[in-house]
Amino acid sequence: MNCEELIKYLSDYIDRDLDEQLRIDAQEHLATCNNCQIILDTTQKTILLCRQATCLKIPAERRKVLFQNLQDAFSSRRDKTHV
Amino acid sequence: MALDNDILEKLRADDQAALSVLFDQYADKLYTLALKMLRDQAESEDIVQETFLKVLTNVGKFDARSCLGTWLYRIAYNSCIDRLRQQGKEELFSDTTQDADEVEFILPQSFVEWHTPEAMLVDTEGRANLEKAIEHLPDPLRVVFILRDINELSGAEAAEVLGISVGSLKVRLHRARLM
Repeated sequence: MNCEELIKYLSDYIDRDLDEQLRIDAQEHLATCNNCQIILDTTQKTILLCRQATCLKIPAERRKVLFQNLQDAFSSRRDKTHV
Repeated sequence: MALDNDILEKLRADDQAALSVLFDQYADKLYTLALKMLRDQAESEDIVQETFLKVLTNVGKFDARSCLGTWLYRIAYNSCIDRLRQQGKEELFSDTTQDADEVEFILPQSFVEWHTPEAMLVDTEGRANLEKAIEHLPDPLRVVFILRDINELSGAEAAEVLGISVGSLKVRLHRARLM
């Protein structure tokens, strides 16, 4: 496997979604190619950092209101069902 | 999946605690998806509420061929698309030029070796740069990146939410990760 092929399969490699032979080929290339190893490390770390930095939260007060509205809708639905 | 089935059965049996579990598990994730699509906090909160209300209304009809979480994401995604359609912007997320089968040779834009990536997270500027990089992704790639790499859906689940093939999803994800 050369660098161009490694990049082509990089995403599937990260997701462990390559067949066994391609995975072995990729590992052999990575063992000898510092540039591709850096690309792999950087991409994996970027994904991890994005996950940690980007998972947003509904502001607490709004969260309470939203959940209360849902509880009201749930109760109303249940009452109608049981009438 | 077992937990999903348990919640589903309890919702159908009008168990209010199940609603709480479902809300805790998915509200912030749906909010993240909506905010990254609509870029509007109030509208994104509306999407979360709309999604759960639709689940409550339709829980009896849900046939459980897909998992409960995927159903929630699909409702939220479609609600976002409806809103964008009202604003004349829905085509942003249906750009089929992102679906070419072949993955071209592209390199990451930031080609930097990070020895201390954790430092990025306590650094406000680092976080802002990550946010900016995600914001700058083309819409069809950004939504795939959010579902797969932020909300951690499987490829098959994300493809089902978006109504595209797993192959198209993989191509979009590959491009998003390397941009």
